[in-house]
Amino acid sequence: MTVTLPTTPATIIEVNAIGKSYGAVNALSGITTKVNAGQVTCVLGDNGAGKSTFIKILAGAHTPSEGQLLIDGVAVTFSSPRAALDMGIATVYQDLAVVPLMPVWRNFFLGSELTRGTGPFRRLDVKEMKRVTVEELANMGIDLRDVDQPIGTLSGGERQCVAIARAVYFGARVLILDEPTAALGVKQSGVVLRYIARARDKGLGVVFITHNPHHAYPVGDRFLLLNRGTSIGDFEKSQITLGELTSLMAGGAELDSLAHELERAERRS
Amino acid sequence: MTTTDIMTIATRPRVENRPIRRILGRPETGALVAALAVMIFFSVYTTTFLTLPGAGVWLESASTFGIMAVAVALLMIGGEFDLSAGVMTGFTALVVGILTTQFGVNIWVAAIVSLAVALAIGALNGYVVMRTGLPSFIVTLGTFFVLAGADLAVTKLLTGQVAIQGMTKVPFYDSIAAFFGSSLTIGGGVFYISVVWWIVVTIIATWVLLRTRAGNWIFAVGGALNSSRQVGVPVMKTKVGLFMTTSGAAWLVGMISLFRTSTVQANTGVGQEFIYIICAVVGGCLLTGGYGSAVGAALGALIYGMVFQGITFAQWDTNWLRTVLGGMLLLAVFLNHWVRRRATGGSR
Amino acid sequence: MKRLFTGIGIVAVAGILLTACSGTGQATNSANPNGAKYTYAVITHSGPGDAFWDRVKSGAEAAGSNYGATITYNADPDPAKQSQLIDNAVAQKVNGIVVSMANPEGLKTSIKAAVAAGIPVVTINSGIEESAAYGAITHIGQSETVAGQAVGNKLNDSSLNNVLCVIQEAGNVGLEQRCKAATSTFKGTMTNLQVDGTNDSEVKATIKSKLQADPSIDGVLTLGGQYALDAVGGVSESNSTAKVATFDLSEDVVADVQAGTILFAVDQQPYVQGFLGVTALFLDSTNGNIIGGGQPVYSGPAFVTKDNAAQVAQFAKNGTR
Repeated sequence: MTVTLPTTPATIIEVNAIGKSYGAVNALSGITTKVNAGQVTCVLGDNGAGKSTFIKILAGAHTPSEGQLLIDGVAVTFSSPRAALDMGIATVYQDLAVVPLMPVWRNFFLGSELTRGTGPFRRLDVKEMKRVTVEELANMGIDLRDVDQPIGTLSGGERQCVAIARAVYFGARVLILDEPTAALGVKQSGVVLRYIARARDKGLGVVFITHNPHHAYPVGDRFLLLNRGTSIGDFEKSQITLGELTSLMAGGAELDSLAHELERAERRS
Repeated sequence: MTTTDIMTIATRPRVENRPIRRILGRPETGALVAALAVMIFFSVYTTTFLTLPGAGVWLESASTFGIMAVAVALLMIGGEFDLSAGVMTGFTALVVGILTTQFGVNIWVAAIVSLAVALAIGALNGYVVMRTGLPSFIVTLGTFFVLAGADLAVTKLLTGQVAIQGMTKVPFYDSIAAFFGSSLTIGGGVFYISVVWWIVVTIIATWVLLRTRAGNWIFAVGGALNSSRQVGVPVMKTKVGLFMTTSGAAWLVGMISLFRTSTVQANTGVGQEFIYIICAVVGGCLLTGGYGSAVGAALGALIYGMVFQGITFAQWDTNWLRTVLGGMLLLAVFLNHWVRRRATGGSR
Repeated sequence: MKRLFTGIGIVAVAGILLTACSGTGQATNSANPNGAKYTYAVITHSGPGDAFWDRVKSGAEAAGSNYGATITYNADPDPAKQSQLIDNAVAQKVNGIVVSMANPEGLKTSIKAAVAAGIPVVTINSGIEESAAYGAITHIGQSETVAGQAVGNKLNDSSLNNVLCVIQEAGNVGLEQRCKAATSTFKGTMTNLQVDGTNDSEVKATIKSKLQADPSIDGVLTLGGQYALDAVGGVSESNSTAKVATFDLSEDVVADVQAGTILFAVDQQPYVQGFLGVTALFLDSTNGNIIGGGQPVYSGPAFVTKDNAAQVAQFAKNGTR
């Protein structure tokens, strides 16, 4: 897993003191980080830390209520996920946006099907779609002989990879992965991390959302830590070790007080 | 080929006998086997079933169910139900009957108005379901009752009767009846044009479902709505289109029954919606959406028609008709289910 | 392949089981189904489990067994499906068809096709006006108009002023005619009330609320025996003094007439319709006789009142009246 970084990696997304509030509730505030081409930006945080609000802003599902979002150095406001997609920012959600009962190739092209012919004779170009699917999956290192099988018969890691391959094929420059390893076992997680590295090596910027520092550290180049809607640090890999990352994540003091609280509660009852 | 465990791709063995397995894996295979079984049974058991006059009867019986079952199957694959589908067949015919006999509207214009009204109601069904997020079961149940009541009330109010009479005297009746109610006699068997409509509808639906983008979207919205939305499938358009297709098919069936019998009663079609759903399910559609086939639904209707008329050919006491129908349908579903399980190696 | 045969096997076994069951329902005919010389199809517009049509069926089957003919009975309230049943009988080349025409226009094509195929058709119950025009050899039934007018007069005799006419089936032209005809001779006001005939408790509830809403109603006319009982229940529960009268009989209706809770019942004698329908075909098949001389044969109306109820009760018990 040797990575040859470009000497000065081009910054695709720059997040500048961004925040989001719903009425009086501040879901997120003052977040600053960036996503470079050919690098992985990891977003770490516990449940409710604001990770999903953050990626929804990047993906164009929410508009930020403060701060600036710059794409290629230009400030932008996304009106819809489609607008983000058009700028090359693709999001792979936890449910992967796949339809389990449909064949792999139909899933691969869902929503962007290839057709041939015109008018009432406009039909799916089945042959070409199958060919591309096989080829693209092979590029990602997945050897799937039968793309006609329902995607639901693939393992979780494989499905994740199909979703990644799909985003890459449809011209993504930045890939946002929403907890891709959360529901997977150790072995399957490894498979997915390998594909994240592969996407990175192809020059894509990757935003990897996770709450597992052991998954984030090996592939990450930059780490954004969130806690209760605020940033508790935005580090480059050289600035932080796995141990520091883990302890920041675990929020040692907080855990201690929690343990204390639970103990007392137990005694009381 | 008992169980396909989850394995990594590299170690997954190549599946043997792929063509056969693929055929058995199609949703309509079970229905096909069941249809053949029913056909062979009645052909052997009765003398009339497999004659041209006999075939004419059960084909006609199956045809109107078949047209609706195919449309309802598309809707079910898209993850929705339409309980107003049955009463809609009566409603569309009543619109034509009332416009022509009571208001002297040209019969072709009346038919087109009826289609437009049907499509509008279908669109409304779809729009309300999508906008409110309520189950289509409830929304269309509402439409069903509204239409059933309106059918009776309006017909009674305007005609003073509960059935349209005097259709044959309407100008140009014969010109339109040729499209919907005509028949062809071959070797003593009477074959209605509705059978042709049935086949045409099945072919178009199959083409749309398997070879167009719309078909891809239908499977997708029924299989995983949120995922479809995320990858940019026009969910609203697809679902509303499906409801409109169903009401459009109901219009076709309404016209067929109107011009076949030259009359329509205010209660026509009430209760038929469940038969359409049964046919679609026998044909391999999942009640949960995302899986099924138009050919399967057409075969489901064929089974229904064959059993329905076969019981009469067999001269069994018709007090048992529903029991036999229910039993046969259950058998068909079991058989279908069993074939599919075998074919998919128990993975579904 | 093995699967296919297993499948056929399952269906075949089921079929044999079901035939065995159905045999008990047709004891008179199934003993020798192919030995009978004539097969007649009786096709009505009855819904499933209707007491009235069961008497028609009994009459037809009694005639069949008397004459050694096979009777097949089928019914569907939807004219399109009833047409298919007629087509089905034609395909089976039966020797004659007895058909009830609740919605004559809907059956026109199929009846004419049957006549064209050389199969004699007798219409029963309803469709008296169209019978001859469609080529039926005769019609056996009750003129709804004649019966309705007679009921109107009978209600006048009981000096009622405000009567409900309860229609239990949406879409039955014959029922509408009954109310219309009764209204034409009735001197007081008659209002139609639409109810859902498949749900007796709802029929009762609807009648009850109507009676509560309008206490001046002093009579309820129902158009089917079982609805008279619903009406009796509705009347007593709403503390109304309205009198109940009804078309068509059942054992319970006769008992209520005897007891005086039902004023009178009009019997169109369904057993006669089934029996004479088959008889007309049998006479035509064996001897070329046409009964009625091309004119309809009236099976009713016969009034059942307190005076003759005891006698009728005996037959009602057998399910033949």
